[in-house]
Amino acid sequence: MTRSLLPALLVCLAGPLRAEDQGTVAVNSAPKPGDWAALAKLPDWSGVWTPFISDQNRRITTDPVPWQPQVAAQIRAMEAEENAGRPRGLFINCLPEAMPTWMLITHNALEFLFTPGRVTILGEMDGNRLRRIYTDGRPHPPDPDPTFHGHSIGHWEGNTLVVDTVAVLPQAFLAVSEAVGIPNNGDLHVIERIHLAEPDVLHDDLEIIAPHVLTRPWKTTRIYFRQRARKYDIVEGVCLQGFYAERQDEHGNAIFVPIPHADGNPVPLPPRESK
Amino acid sequence: MTRASLHLAGLLIAGTLAGALPALAHHSFAMFDFTKVITITGTVKEFQWTNPHVVLWVNVEGKDPKHPDVWWLEMTSPGNLTRTGWNRKALNAGDKVEVELNPLRDGKLGGALIKVTNSTTGQVFSTNLRDMEKPGLK
Repeated sequence: MTRSLLPALLVCLAGPLRAEDQGTVAVNSAPKPGDWAALAKLPDWSGVWTPFISDQNRRITTDPVPWQPQVAAQIRAMEAEENAGRPRGLFINCLPEAMPTWMLITHNALEFLFTPGRVTILGEMDGNRLRRIYTDGRPHPPDPDPTFHGHSIGHWEGNTLVVDTVAVLPQAFLAVSEAVGIPNNGDLHVIERIHLAEPDVLHDDLEIIAPHVLTRPWKTTRIYFRQRARKYDIVEGVCLQGFYAERQDEHGNAIFVPIPHADGNPVPLPPRESK
Repeated sequence: MTRASLHLAGLLIAGTLAGALPALAHHSFAMFDFTKVITITGTVKEFQWTNPHVVLWVNVEGKDPKHPDVWWLEMTSPGNLTRTGWNRKALNAGDKVEVELNPLRDGKLGGALIKVTNSTTGQVFSTNLRDMEKPGLK
């Protein structure tokens, strides 16, 4: 083999060049009729999915989190406070539960939208949080900005959607309840296999890799039930709304007025400290 | 007192109450004692149909007839309550109610609402998310 052929061969082995590598601008191509038709071959995940909350709680015991020792000590302290009736509110500031905690502990419904090249998960918590999962074959960006829900790419293996998520903010909690959890502290990687276990029962099999807080990847499952009655339709859920009272101003305008808190801080303190 | 100042006074009262009790944003319910169930009877002061937790304020007659005790009762979100048959007009200021609740562990006047009977309308509403743990509900 001549030296001149080697680079070309390496390129072939590595697969097609990415748009970024070629110096061209990556675009989201307009879907063709075949792209829309292909959606019909995907499994039916329509409807509204309600979480199996009792199972979430059960799995804290059956799928114990492999916390690192120094983290386990902090977790035990939080559990003790919660068991004593003094829960520490991880989310009382109304920041998103984020990934993967949204999937782990939500008490609210969610729904899936399939469009060409993408699966979108919509919830009704945290002000209608959503996850965009790109299924168009793109890779993760080389250095994405960290966000609450990270950057997700997915592909279908039969009827299972395999989702890979990176670039989650290090401050995002890895939580097992609304009072027990720890910031992931960076380099979080979540792999999910989402599939129908029964016609109307959806499983999200999660593998959570959090090298700064876990000793090994944590594998667990979360279960959702399909509802079709319209009273289960997703509604808007703006977390911060609870901080405001509905009142009228001096002109009779309908307004929101902040409800003050014990220490005058707009971010309320956990119950133990707000007495 | 002007109309506006009346509204402000009401807000300050509500604010004082909120400040004395756990925060309204979504949180653990561990501050409630789920081993205890008590029942109170009173009049709806305000029904706050907001995320992430719906809140019911109830005036309950206490020692001072001019200043009733005000109980703070928390529920799940409007979305979840809608699915169990509630609506934002289920309770209105002035309605007579009987409320079954798990009280706050610290003895303050509040709790997690289990069931409310609206004696004014004759309607009964309860809240239990575990009732939704199966598919195909009607």
